[in-house]
Amino acid sequence: MAIKLSKIINNWVPDDSKVIDFGCGDGSLLKELMDTKKVLGYGVEINDTKIQKCIAKGVPVIKQDIDLGINEFESSNFDLSIMARSIQCLKNPANALKGMLKLSKRCVVTLPNLGYWRCRLNILSGEMPVTPELPSSWYETENIHLCTIKDFEKLCIDENIKIKDKVFLNKKGDQSKFVSIKPNLLAVEGVYLLEK
Amino acid sequence: MKFRTELINFADGMTLDSGDRLEKFELMIETYGELNESGSNAILLCHAFSGNHHAAGKNNDSEIGWWDEIVGPNKAIDTDKYYVVCCNNLGGCGGSSGPTTINPSSEKPYGKNFPQISVKDWVNSQKMLMDKIGVPYWHLVAGGSLGGMQALEWAISYPNDIKKAGIFAAASNSSTQNIALNEVARESIRKDQNFHDGDYLEHNVIPKSGLKTARMLGHITYLSEELMDSRFGRRFQDEDSKVDQEVDFEVENYLQYKGEKFSESFDANSYILMTKAMDGYVAGQDIGLRDAMKNVKSQLLIVGFYSDWLYPPERGKEIQMAAMDNNINSSYIVLEGAHGHDSFLFSSEEYSKVISKFIES
Repeated sequence: MAIKLSKIINNWVPDDSKVIDFGCGDGSLLKELMDTKKVLGYGVEINDTKIQKCIAKGVPVIKQDIDLGINEFESSNFDLSIMARSIQCLKNPANALKGMLKLSKRCVVTLPNLGYWRCRLNILSGEMPVTPELPSSWYETENIHLCTIKDFEKLCIDENIKIKDKVFLNKKGDQSKFVSIKPNLLAVEGVYLLEK
Repeated sequence: MKFRTELINFADGMTLDSGDRLEKFELMIETYGELNESGSNAILLCHAFSGNHHAAGKNNDSEIGWWDEIVGPNKAIDTDKYYVVCCNNLGGCGGSSGPTTINPSSEKPYGKNFPQISVKDWVNSQKMLMDKIGVPYWHLVAGGSLGGMQALEWAISYPNDIKKAGIFAAASNSSTQNIALNEVARESIRKDQNFHDGDYLEHNVIPKSGLKTARMLGHITYLSEELMDSRFGRRFQDEDSKVDQEVDFEVENYLQYKGEKFSESFDANSYILMTKAMDGYVAGQDIGLRDAMKNVKSQLLIVGFYSDWLYPPERGKEIQMAAMDNNINSSYIVLEGAHGHDSFLFSSEEYSKVISKFIES
């Protein structure tokens, strides 16, 4: 996932830029960008085991609950902030989006698409979606703010956030032209480059 | 574990931060492991306020080193792989020059006349030590509390001589509350009738009760409320093991015991000097932390502990923020730490792993 995503994000990240990755996991995306684009990357993560993996990779990491603050990083002048597959877990995704665009001119957000046809089938059959991408049951999922591609783009319009670029991924995590015909129905994941 | 204890002599002395001069001085050091051929495996440990050069293993007096849980063969700081050096800080009372040393000009112990040492002086003297023992650079300089301040100062003062800095349970300066607590401790020493305005050695006495009270207060600040609750609760001390008939609770007995032990071994003038150095430290004195960190080249690992209320984790975060503003490869981690401020001394799975992975990365 990290390598595929880094290939997409690579086009959006200038060499030597300063990047912060919220919910950086084991740091593999940042590591990839550090190696290929010589970026200076910082990860933000709450899970101790994942933090250890970041440290082992030499990826700088900050232990923090993203829900509790993004704004404090404003003084660091980041070129790009990333939030991959995490925004749906936050208590206030709209605030997080605005916060990211305050601390960096651009941000990359990826989100699972609840409009994906398999999810719709689940809901049609009267159940909350459980798919390979959203594997947890409703009572144990961390995804408290799931949305569709359409919902997300509407939020961007409402908040005056420009969508500079977007890529839609199929269930293999690959960029797909077919999926882009009707992303809200066919895409498993949306990847956005956003700007103020 | 094999260790060597050595007294290193600096016959040319040094000029201190304050402008005062120490015409000559000695540093007591302990080393573990071997320096490799390329000189790439040296680690400097900086001790906290009451520590000394004996960081790991058992010494000849069967005392266990202050960082034994972290430092040793196959431990987080692995003495099988690294050449680990720890020195007693200048002005201390573990064998390095300090208030109990003979002043060459008066041929009497310095006592209260030992010049005030700063954190910067410690780092400068450790740099002189580095050159003297043939270490080309430190792969890591690490310490907790006051030792963490030294690690930070190393990164700032000698950017080319240090690859990594481990700053644990520390801050870039002492808080108002830190200074206040230290002042109560110093006051108890100064008001001991045996203190004699710092000249107690000439009177052949030591201000034992003042030192003891100071240490008892210190101990409370090093522990967390939760730890004290779980360790002592409101349990009564059993009659047979009371250090004093006045004692009722276990916690009282513990503090009495710890205070008593400390007062037998620590020098009062050193206590005052070391706490003054701690209170006086401000990383980037005139220019502020952010600008001071401009030239830092080393990687930083900053660790705080939730249960530490003396140097709470937010203090470490301030350093992290300044590091990020300066594009420094720096990580900031907060761990549970059951022991309050003292947590930096104890191994936990997460703490040890983070340290060893940072060293190896």
